[in-house]
Amino acid sequence: MRQPVRMLLAALVTAAVFLLPGMTGGLHGAFAVIAIMAVAAYGLDIVVSDLGEVSLAHTVFFAAGAYATALLSTRLGVGSWTTLAAALAAGAAIALVLGLVTLRLREFVFSLVTYAATVVAAAVAHNWQFLGGSDGVTAIPTLDLSVGPVQLAAGNDAELWPYAFVLLLLTLYAVRQFRRSRLGAMAMMVHLNPRLATMSGIDVRRVRLGVFVLSSLFSAAAGWLYAYQRAYVGPDLFETYFLVLMLTAVVLVGRRRLLAPLIGTALIIGQERFLSFGGEVNAIILGGALVVALALLPGGLDGTLRRLLSRPAARAPASGGEPVPQP
Amino acid sequence: MNLVQQLINGIVLGHAYALVAIGWTVLLGVARLVNFGHGQIYMLAAFVTWWAAMPLGLPYPVAILVAVGAGILIGLVMQAAMLRLTITQDLVSIMIVTLGFGHLMRGVAGLVFGGNPQVLETPLSYVDFEVAGAWVTAQDIAVIIACILFFLLLHFGLERGSLGRTARMVAEDPKLAQLAGINIKRVYFAVFAFEGAAVALAAALVAPRTPILTSIGFEEVIITFVVVVLGGIGSVAGSYVAGIGLGIFTALFGGFVSPAYATTAAFAVLMVVLVLRPGGLSLGAGKAVR
Repeated sequence: MRQPVRMLLAALVTAAVFLLPGMTGGLHGAFAVIAIMAVAAYGLDIVVSDLGEVSLAHTVFFAAGAYATALLSTRLGVGSWTTLAAALAAGAAIALVLGLVTLRLREFVFSLVTYAATVVAAAVAHNWQFLGGSDGVTAIPTLDLSVGPVQLAAGNDAELWPYAFVLLLLTLYAVRQFRRSRLGAMAMMVHLNPRLATMSGIDVRRVRLGVFVLSSLFSAAAGWLYAYQRAYVGPDLFETYFLVLMLTAVVLVGRRRLLAPLIGTALIIGQERFLSFGGEVNAIILGGALVVALALLPGGLDGTLRRLLSRPAARAPASGGEPVPQP
Repeated sequence: MNLVQQLINGIVLGHAYALVAIGWTVLLGVARLVNFGHGQIYMLAAFVTWWAAMPLGLPYPVAILVAVGAGILIGLVMQAAMLRLTITQDLVSIMIVTLGFGHLMRGVAGLVFGGNPQVLETPLSYVDFEVAGAWVTAQDIAVIIACILFFLLLHFGLERGSLGRTARMVAEDPKLAQLAGINIKRVYFAVFAFEGAAVALAAALVAPRTPILTSIGFEEVIITFVVVVLGGIGSVAGSYVAGIGLGIFTALFGGFVSPAYATTAAFAVLMVVLVLRPGGLSLGAGKAVR
């Protein structure tokens, strides 16, 4: 397809998706949550897919954004732009500290420490009264991004959906640009061949830290909007639900495909909202989906579909499903 | 809260920690596998023990056996699902899959055992002893004895015996082991069954000390990480010492500083160790630091 045709098609699809919740009769809440969680998952995606490490601390960045927003907007009454800046700063600061500590760790030790960070952050959130303790922070005001005479406020889910949608588009654009950028290329090189990267004069640790901190910004921004959407922030943000949701969204469809985490998130939250069997069964489905995606469907849904379609030709496995190389 | 009481608490707690961690130590040290669903197996096994002992009314030792059986079953099911990943040694995927299993097990526990906290009362928890002015229950003593016996058994069975040698050979080079005529699938199944059984045993003995909820297990996982890392990855004796040390540290921290942040403090210890000695982690696993 030629460039202008593709652009036109992409614009049409984008517009259709934007109008979808209205056409389906006011499903703005579900769509907004899908967009927000997808943005959070993109943060994890660039660490898992590009850097090749599994971070289990992205719920902490997500929660850091949400908590920063909740605390500043309820206690100091500041506006949504300020809370956005604070959310990003909080996520990046935690990522920087954690990134520095884990700079020399790889693979499961890295994951183990990031997982421990999540569990400890949950313990702190439960016990520290400054953060609201087990009750969390309630009565968060609604989103208001008005600048001067321009009114940009969202009082309900239907009004919030455009902002979630814009945040999602910005994220998609940023992830696409990241993959084409120098940092993205270096991350892939560090991922696939760290020795070659070092020999090429790439500072492996700096790249890892850079990508890690960058990835935290997405998840923190998602937390920022989630706080406004839910009007409540509590220690439940650290539950494995969010962690498993993000991980499943990243691996379910396929690695290093721009739309894969979005489709994954939409499938999971779609199931929970429209085909729910109660919390426990949903947990079994979500956990089971993660197990099946990795253990039985290498390359995710996308890779499996491609393999099924190309079976008569007996082609090599689809490129999206390359296993994570073991050093 | 005097010092002696806290020290004795710490020793009991330390044996409990070592017992909870032993499955991971063997899993990682012998087979180079990880299991992030460790805490949820603990949780599920605690519920099974409670279910066998209270609603079913089985004697406590039989309930322990039922829990161990359930643990073995869980371990085998998990390994069956990820056998392909195990054989290709895809640790990263194994990690995520076990995390998924953990989430799944929480759902199963909620479905089967309900959301209410349960308290497992064993005949041993009613028997108190006074030791140097501090109180311990027979349950505590049972934890200590079981832990020491288990570690001795492992030390002689695994680090000296041919069973451990076979398993380590598989971990070192699965292809070579296969050429040498070892059925590597059977070894991997056995190791994961052992992991399940060990956590289940720990849960059956340790869980009566605390209320049993579907949300427990996270603290146990962190403690296990710290014990395994501090003890030197895969070292049986090391993890025993690390468990006791961590137990005493946690008890003293909990007693004199803040009980709510005891796990956080344990994590801080892990962080300090990682920053000071990141190379120490690569001892057993070999892949930790490049």
